[in-house]
Amino acid sequence: MLLNTFEYLKPTNLSNALEVLDDLKDKNMQVLAGGTDLIPWMRARVKEVDHLVDLADAGLNHIVFDHDQARIGATVTFAEIFADPEVRLKLPAIAEAAGVVGAVQTRNLATLGGNLCSAIPSSDGAPALLVLGASLRLQSKNNDRLVPIEQFFLGPRRTVLQPGEVLTEIVVPLREDFTASFLRQGRRKALTLSIVNSAAGFAMDGQKISEARIALGAVAPIPLRATKAEQFLLGKKITSELFAEAAAVAATEISPISDLRASADYRRKISMVLVRRALENALARQKPKADAQTVGGGVR
Amino acid sequence: MKKNISLKVNGKQYSLEVDAKDMLLHVIREKIGLTGTKEGCGTGECGACTVLLDGTPVNSCLYLAIRADGKEILTIEGLGTPAHLHPLQQAFIDNAGVQCGFCAPGMLLSAKALLDKNPNPTEHEIRVGIAGNICRCSGYVKIVKSVKQAAAELQQPEHEGSYK
Repeated sequence: MLLNTFEYLKPTNLSNALEVLDDLKDKNMQVLAGGTDLIPWMRARVKEVDHLVDLADAGLNHIVFDHDQARIGATVTFAEIFADPEVRLKLPAIAEAAGVVGAVQTRNLATLGGNLCSAIPSSDGAPALLVLGASLRLQSKNNDRLVPIEQFFLGPRRTVLQPGEVLTEIVVPLREDFTASFLRQGRRKALTLSIVNSAAGFAMDGQKISEARIALGAVAPIPLRATKAEQFLLGKKITSELFAEAAAVAATEISPISDLRASADYRRKISMVLVRRALENALARQKPKADAQTVGGGVR
Repeated sequence: MKKNISLKVNGKQYSLEVDAKDMLLHVIREKIGLTGTKEGCGTGECGACTVLLDGTPVNSCLYLAIRADGKEILTIEGLGTPAHLHPLQQAFIDNAGVQCGFCAPGMLLSAKALLDKNPNPTEHEIRVGIAGNICRCSGYVKIVKSVKQAAAELQQPEHEGSYK
């Protein structure tokens, strides 16, 4: 049972929500999305609030595919993302993450936006977005800014969100040449935080990797990119050892801790496995070379 | 903060006053008096409190009752009656899918939501469908068997259109 009651507000459109958040920005308030993270915190009395602003009706439940980008509203649930045919087709790494968070019940409530704003190191929503170069749209009554996801997390449970500001949508570039994949390892297959999670993706120029991004979660204070491993892949031809070598580089860039879920040593080893497999899965999603040659004369 | 909400539970309309801090689980159990929905962990990790909210399973221990205004809820009491068991309930009895019984209400509702969406699931799909429900008796083999039997039973022509 919750200890203290609070004022519950449910704005019915975005401008109303931004007004409400602005009015309450100096108060002890909290934004509610799915509640799967926040409500247990409130029930455990880790967090007590005076005002709760429920965004369920604020008009942020859209998934829109424009020509070169997708926009996912902050209150779209993981279940909705996982079920969306266009997400599965064009952004499979995001669908992979959305399909393994928690379990059915959790995915029906939990939102991608809430997952990011909770900013836990093991966020399953973050790695694919880091790899895909996503940006987060942060809005307040008087401001509207687009922040690259790399710049969003400051530490465990800390983000760049200012008082009165809220994440409204996740903007993901759409590229056919850049393929990516997401994987996680937990103690069980459901209802558990990731011991390690990872996404990786790349684009090719002919036989060589022309662009690569690798992200890992639960191995540092924030979900982070393994930039040395990304650099290592650039300009390389794909061989049977290449991805394992890149994964070994990635394992030098993380700072895992030992906790009740796993030891630091295990996290480092699993990181190598997940990075390698994510790269292999991303490779399987690359268009066959013949296709690339038809479209871009072999130098796409 | 108190507010009047109206919600439908098992087809019956209720109007009641809730506090902003009340969980749907406690309103169902204590205000509406339907105690089939159980509280296990209270943190969304065991699934004992599962109810169907507009047809989809959610953990009622994580859901503020005030958010349920205007929604439709199915609890275990609405699945079948002792005289007319839902095929899932009959299958759980036939296969001993219930041991201590504490997880059964949530397990049955997750299984119902699964079969509503996917009438002929594979074993893997069944296991994913009930992954949010923990059985501490560890009776999963018999539970999966029960869900399979119910799926087959519900495919029978005489059930066409019922049990939705």
